[in-house]
Amino acid sequence: MRTTTLEDYRERVLRVLLHIQRNLDEPLDLVELAGVAAFSPYHFHRVFHGMVGESLGGYVRRLRLERAAMALKGSDRPVVEIALDSGYSSHEAFTRAFRAAFRVAPSEYRGQHAPEIPLSVDPREFRPLEPEDPAMRVEIKQVEPLRVAFVRHVGPYNQCGDAWDKLTTWAGSEGMIGPGTQFIGLCWDDPEITPPDKVRYDACITIDRDTESIGEFGVQEIDGGPYAMTTHFGPYEEFDKTYVKLIGQWAPRSGRELRPLPCLEFYLNSPENTGPEDLVTDIYLPLEAC
Amino acid sequence: MSTTEKLDLFKLHKAEYAAPKEPKLVEVGPAEYLTIEGRGEPGGEDFQTALGALYGMAFTIKMTRKIEGLGDYAVCKLESQWWNIDGPKDGWQWKMMIRTPEFVGQDDLASAAAKLVEKKKGAGVDGVKLERIDEGRCVQMLHIGPYDKEHETIAKMLAFAKEKGLAVHGRHHEIYVSDPRRVPPERLKTILRHPLRPAS
Repeated sequence: MRTTTLEDYRERVLRVLLHIQRNLDEPLDLVELAGVAAFSPYHFHRVFHGMVGESLGGYVRRLRLERAAMALKGSDRPVVEIALDSGYSSHEAFTRAFRAAFRVAPSEYRGQHAPEIPLSVDPREFRPLEPEDPAMRVEIKQVEPLRVAFVRHVGPYNQCGDAWDKLTTWAGSEGMIGPGTQFIGLCWDDPEITPPDKVRYDACITIDRDTESIGEFGVQEIDGGPYAMTTHFGPYEEFDKTYVKLIGQWAPRSGRELRPLPCLEFYLNSPENTGPEDLVTDIYLPLEAC
Repeated sequence: MSTTEKLDLFKLHKAEYAAPKEPKLVEVGPAEYLTIEGRGEPGGEDFQTALGALYGMAFTIKMTRKIEGLGDYAVCKLESQWWNIDGPKDGWQWKMMIRTPEFVGQDDLASAAAKLVEKKKGAGVDGVKLERIDEGRCVQMLHIGPYDKEHETIAKMLAFAKEKGLAVHGRHHEIYVSDPRRVPPERLKTILRHPLRPAS
């Protein structure tokens, strides 16, 4: 079977870059863009971030602002009209974003002494970023399907503590947490894309195949198969850096295709008795079989 | 859920868990621990079974008390004592320990053990005991690096004690800050402690 090369990944991201450039007036939602690149929406955003060096949303915003800058310089159109064209609902919001991006207000940019704004290169010149961490330790693991009891949390990831509390208090008091029990987080959404109050996360513990009653708690099976595993050391708030390196920089050079399933987080120790800098988490990225 | 503040014995007894880069004297008061003893190579099969039993019990006791509304507390970091460690590793003796609030009693242990056995997670749980250990004045220091390089840190601690007119007695004690399953040996952090008495 043919492997998926870095050049394949580059070509697919390039398709997205060209699509964005031609469709700046469209809403450009993630699922549509992932479809253009034939990537799973679970992983596409991080592939993009790791290869291009900025988030998908940030890239689209920047291109729209650059186009606005050109319109300001090259036409007499009212600023508010250019703002609307750029996807901003008000003059104020546009001015804020423009200033944040180019350190100058739109009206000043029209003046005679406006600074030069370095515009993006032609997307066709796109070259994937060099990996930040070329020696990143990644192991391919063949995982058996895992039966888990879980509590779903909907909301920002950093508030998933209540779900864990509910799950472990119940399971622990039943004698279900013992040698070999694994604590797993199932991340259904990317917090950079999904609004924080809609992010879905399942706090899971492994349970025996023959556990019959699990009270009011959900049971699901986590898919087995090949996964790429790397270890994240340190605070949970810094997971995204590891995800971007694994999915956006390691994966495109791995020869492997990503499986359209959520990533898994295996928590090896607990914030209850461990400082943030000493937390250890294994991150599993699902791969297609080869 | 309990509305009272969660009890954290490591925070409450912060001075006892000092992790200095140079040897330091600390006063360690009497403390309750869940313990399990064994003999043999660290990381070996008996050791792993004992560790699993100790964690299983610590967790089950805590969560049972919590769900029964008896208050919440943090399960403390793993600690251990070692003796008879001059010979081959298969003769080494150890006690794995998790510090536990004083209100935890024998009946908590019995009910937790019964639950774990019922859920077929009971291997080794009958070896888990409740113990009070009183170490008093100790020398303490943070060791960074592999476990088999601890002797270098211990040598510094002994020299420090000698300078103060003190000698070690009792058992070598370790408090595990890092997770040895993933943290590379050269980055492992372990607090080393040894009780002292006046040198004769």
